[in-house]
Amino acid sequence: MNRDRPVPRMPVLLSALVALTLAIVPLPGVVDRLRPDFLVLVVYYWSIEAPSAGGLTLAFVAGLAIDVSRGVVLGEHALALTLTAAWAMHLRLRIRVFSIPKQALTIFGLLATYQFILFWIDGATGYPVTDWSRWLGPFIGAAIWPLVVATLRRLHER
Amino acid sequence: MVAFRSHEPAGRSSGLLLRSVLYTLLALGLIVLDKRYDQLGKIRRALSVVAYPLELGVASPFRGWAWLRQSVTTRDTLRAENARLRAKLLDERYRLQRYAALEAENAELRGLRTSTAGVETRPLVADIMDVDIDAFRERVLIDKGAADGVRVGQAVLDAHGVFGQVESVGERTSDLLMLSDATSAIPVMINRTGLRTIAVGTGDLGRLKLPYLPTTADVVKGDLLVTSGLGSVYPEGYPVGTVVDVKIDTVRSLADVDVRTAAKLDSSRELLIVRSKPRPPAPPAPTPPATGANGSTPATPAKHRPATPAKHR
Repeated sequence: MNRDRPVPRMPVLLSALVALTLAIVPLPGVVDRLRPDFLVLVVYYWSIEAPSAGGLTLAFVAGLAIDVSRGVVLGEHALALTLTAAWAMHLRLRIRVFSIPKQALTIFGLLATYQFILFWIDGATGYPVTDWSRWLGPFIGAAIWPLVVATLRRLHER
Repeated sequence: MVAFRSHEPAGRSSGLLLRSVLYTLLALGLIVLDKRYDQLGKIRRALSVVAYPLELGVASPFRGWAWLRQSVTTRDTLRAENARLRAKLLDERYRLQRYAALEAENAELRGLRTSTAGVETRPLVADIMDVDIDAFRERVLIDKGAADGVRVGQAVLDAHGVFGQVESVGERTSDLLMLSDATSAIPVMINRTGLRTIAVGTGDLGRLKLPYLPTTADVVKGDLLVTSGLGSVYPEGYPVGTVVDVKIDTVRSLADVDVRTAAKLDSSRELLIVRSKPRPPAPPAPTPPATGANGSTPATPAKHRPATPAKHR
């Protein structure tokens, strides 16, 4: 009956921490703009694969962590990540049976929504970032999704 | 967290809906509190304490590498560097002698005008941490925070000029907003003419614009901009940048002036945080007899020149 396999918390927390570290490792300017949102992808993965291990709490806390590390208005990334992770959780049974390219397409949709919410809050709080390169995020995220799946799957399936 | 796990029935989404609404409201509440009421300084500081070990962990390999490189430099390199630094020290000493005299003179002049100098004498030295904050905004993280006496709004300088200001303060780290961030603006004065205006960031590292100058303003390529001290964030008389391009389109009423920052925004490592003393509300000083300035432009000419020896080129 229970189709969500129980996953211990340790790998979830560990992967989130590693992703957060990757998010702030310094990179030279151009590469920096191409950096995938690792933590967001990790949160989506766990939302789809094991919602009971982290759930929305993980999404909210991870979003808050991004807010703090970027020094933007508190709650911005938390809101965007919570909403999109809830969406991913809602669709998780369908997403799981998708092929990897189809999954990547779904992730693209999620990331685009995420980015749009951020864009909207940025504008509403008076710090609009109109740089076109911010819209690269969804493409890059979707492109490395197979890699994220392959890596994280090792953590809980042996 | 444990409660969520035991209560969540698999495959049912009513709980999910409830919780997502809950968290959404929480996040919206945070945004409003932070943005509108500015109430979350303490929470932000507490969270930054949690983030500090992570930031330190990310930055330490880079520090370790710098340390390693420094400790394996050869004797010759050190000797050459030592000689160079000695020469530089001599040069600076020579300049400092003049500076002391100028400072005394300046204090006297200021005494006449019953205003005080803008900067406390002891700035705080901070290092940039090797942590990327945001790819789209010109910000850096430094290794000094509230525990070291850093406060929001303090001006930050590097060895060459004004770098930016403190935007938010954590316990042991702070975020700086660099001059060239798109949301940054700094009151400046053209050193040659005393014309005051505002330089705003472009979002492009190391580049500023002067968007509020009329086409008739006296500004040419190579002009040095210094802080005017208005707005009481940046102390007065520090170099901000040099004008690199002036495009005057007579059809439009405003000139298009490009500025390159004096501070090396991309390569400086060590910064000075200055504590700007609040000025006592002095009565408006009587304007000295006109010194043949351009009184017709909207920006009034400054009443005095800055104390720092001006570098004309």
